[in-house]
Amino acid sequence: MKTFSRHVLSAAVTTIILGLGSAAHAAEDTIKIALAGPTTGPVAQYGDMQMMGAKMAVEQINAKGGVNGKKLEAVVMDDACEPKQAVAVANQIVNQKIKFVIGHLCSGSTQPASKLYEDEGIFMITPAATNPAITQQKYKMVFRTIGTDDQQGPTAGRYIANKVKPKKLAIIHDKQQYGEGIAKEVDKTVKAAGITPVLFEGINKGQTDFSALITKMKKDGVDFVYYGGYHPELGLLLRQSREQGFDAKYMGPEGVGNKDISAIAGPASEGLLVTLPADFSADPANAELVKAFKAKNEDPTGPFVMPAYAGVQIIADSIKATKTEDAVKIADYVRKNSFQTPIGKVAFKENGDLKEFEFVVFNWHADATKTPVK
Amino acid sequence: MSGFSFLEFLQQIINGLTLGSIYALIAIGYTMVYGIIGMINFAHGEIYMIGAYVGLMVITGLGLFGVHSITAILLVTLAISILVTGSYGWTVERLAYRPLRGSPRLVPLISAIGVSIFLQNYVQIGQGARDVSMQPVLTGGWRFGPEGGFQVYVSYMQVLIAVITVAFMSGLTLFIGRSRMGRACRACSEDRGMANLLGIDTDRVIALTFVLGAALAAVAGVLVSMYYGLVNPFIGFIAGLKAFTAAVLGGIGSIPGAMLGGVVLGLAESFASAYLQTEYKDVVAFALLILVLLVRPTGLLGRPDVEKV
Repeated sequence: MKTFSRHVLSAAVTTIILGLGSAAHAAEDTIKIALAGPTTGPVAQYGDMQMMGAKMAVEQINAKGGVNGKKLEAVVMDDACEPKQAVAVANQIVNQKIKFVIGHLCSGSTQPASKLYEDEGIFMITPAATNPAITQQKYKMVFRTIGTDDQQGPTAGRYIANKVKPKKLAIIHDKQQYGEGIAKEVDKTVKAAGITPVLFEGINKGQTDFSALITKMKKDGVDFVYYGGYHPELGLLLRQSREQGFDAKYMGPEGVGNKDISAIAGPASEGLLVTLPADFSADPANAELVKAFKAKNEDPTGPFVMPAYAGVQIIADSIKATKTEDAVKIADYVRKNSFQTPIGKVAFKENGDLKEFEFVVFNWHADATKTPVK
Repeated sequence: MSGFSFLEFLQQIINGLTLGSIYALIAIGYTMVYGIIGMINFAHGEIYMIGAYVGLMVITGLGLFGVHSITAILLVTLAISILVTGSYGWTVERLAYRPLRGSPRLVPLISAIGVSIFLQNYVQIGQGARDVSMQPVLTGGWRFGPEGGFQVYVSYMQVLIAVITVAFMSGLTLFIGRSRMGRACRACSEDRGMANLLGIDTDRVIALTFVLGAALAAVAGVLVSMYYGLVNPFIGFIAGLKAFTAAVLGGIGSIPGAMLGGVVLGLAESFASAYLQTEYKDVVAFALLILVLLVRPTGLLGRPDVEKV
C-alpha cells in the first residue's frame, strides 16, 4: 500500500513538472540567443566586451521592432573560459532549446562546445576564438566574426622579421590551445624569414613567478620576446622583467590587449606591441554606434565588442531574410550571403571563417591606450 | 643554452630561495596540523588566499590614506592580515573539524575539501572572480657584476621576503621549543590521548595550531601580494598544492622539514626553468617528490616512527 501511494505521488509530481515544462515552452515568443563566454575568472574582461557588444545589438534590433515581430532575448552563460565548463554550458543551451549562440570566447572552450552545437544543429558564431582548428572540423554550424591565428601569427611574425629584426628572439606561450597555437604560427613565420628563436618555451597558466625564465633570457641576451597567451601571465612577466632589469621588448596577440595588462604591469606595459583587429570604433561609419555605447558609459574600443555586435546582427538579418528560425537553414543562408556590419562588409568561406579580416600591430601604453604602429 | 655562467647560477639560487620561502611559510600550516591531529587541512591554501586578499586591501587602503613608509605599511598589513586570517583559521577548525573529531580519518578530509570549495566561492562572490592587481610598494634593489655584462639582481623585496620568513620561522621554532604552549603542542603531537590525560586542553592546542598555521599563511599572502601584486580567488589551489608537496618532501609533521622542503622545492623549480625548460619545472618538482619518497618514505626530515593512531 505504501509503495503504491509513493508511485502515485511520483507520477503526480512528474506530471506537474512535465506540465509546467510544456506551459513554459508555449509561452515562448522571443528568439533566444545564448551569449556564451567568461563572466568570471581571470579573462572575464574579454567576456565583458563580448556581452557588451552583443547586448547592444539585441537592444538596438529590439528597439527597431525586433525580428519578424519577435523580440530577441540574450541569455548570458558563463563558461569561465574552462573547456569543461564550456561543455556544461553547451549542454544547457541544448536543453533550453536555444538555437543561436554568440560565443564562446576562448579557443580552448570553443572547440569542445562547437561539437555539441554541430551535433544538435545549433548555429554558433564566435566573436573572439581565433585558433584555426575550430573551423577545420568540417562543421556546418560554426562561424566566426574574427580572424584566425594563421592570419594573426604571420602578421606578428612578419612585423618581427621585417621591422624589429631582433638579434635574439624568444617565443613563450601558455601551453593553451590559443597561446601555443599562435606562438607556433609566429615561430613558423620568423623561421621562414631566416630568424631562429633562441628559445621556444611553455609556461603554466596561472603561474606567478617567472624570475627563473627571465634570468635565463637575460643571460642569453634576448632582446625581443613574443608571448602567446593572455594578459595575466604576460602582465607579471613584464613587471618582473622590469624589476630584474631585463629590458627586451615584448609583443603579444589580441588576448593580452586589455586595460588590465596596464593595471598589472603598470609602467612596464609601455611600448608593448599587440596585434589586434583594426579599431572598428574609429571607423566613421560606426560613429552612431560608438555614441550609443558612450551614452551607456561603455567602452566600444575593446577588440571583441564589434565582432560580437556583428554576430547578433548577422543572425537577426538572416532570420529576417529567410523568415525561418531553423538554425540549419540560417547557417546555409549565412554561408551564401554577405552582411553589412560594424566590422565592415562580411562574407564567409565554406568552413565558416571570414573571407577577409585584418590584424593591425598596435603600440600599447602604460595608461591602457593604444596607437596603431605605422 | 650558451654555456654555464656562475652569475646566472647565483641569480637562479636567489630566485629559488624567494619562491621557496613562500612555499615554506605555507607548508608549515600543513605540517603542524598533520603533526598534531594527523589530518591534511586542504583548506589551508584558501586561508593563504584570504591572507593575500586582506594584504592587498590593507596596502591599497593605506595608500589612499597617504601612508608611504614601508615599515608602517608592512607592520600594519601583517598585523591586520594575521588577525583576520587567524580568525578564519580558528573558525574553520571550530565549525568544520572539531565536531568531526574522533570520526574516521576520511571524514575530516572530506570536510576540509568542502571548506576549501566553500572559501573559494565565498571570496569569489564577495570580491568578484576577477584578478585584483596592485602596483609594487617596494621597488629597487642591488646589482652586482660587470657593467654591461650579466648582473646579478637582488631586489629589496626579495631580501624582505627572506628576512621576514626567517624571522617568523625562528619565532615559531622558539615558541614551539621554549614556551609552555609549545611544549603542550609537542606533547599533543607525541600522543594526544596521553596529553589529554595529563591535563592538557588538547582542543585548545589544536585550535592554536590552526591559528598559527593560518598566521604564517597570512604572512605568505601579504608577501605575495606585495611581490607579485596579482591576486584572484583561485591562487590558493596551486600554492596549496605546492606547499603541501613541500611539506611532504620535508617530512610531513616536521616543522624544520617543511622549511627545508619549501626551499628545496623552490630551488628545484628555479633550476628546472633555468637549465631545462620552464614547462618541465612541475615535472621536476614532482619527480623529486616521488624520488625522495621512494628512498625516504617519511620525507627528508620526517621521523620514521610517526605512526598516528
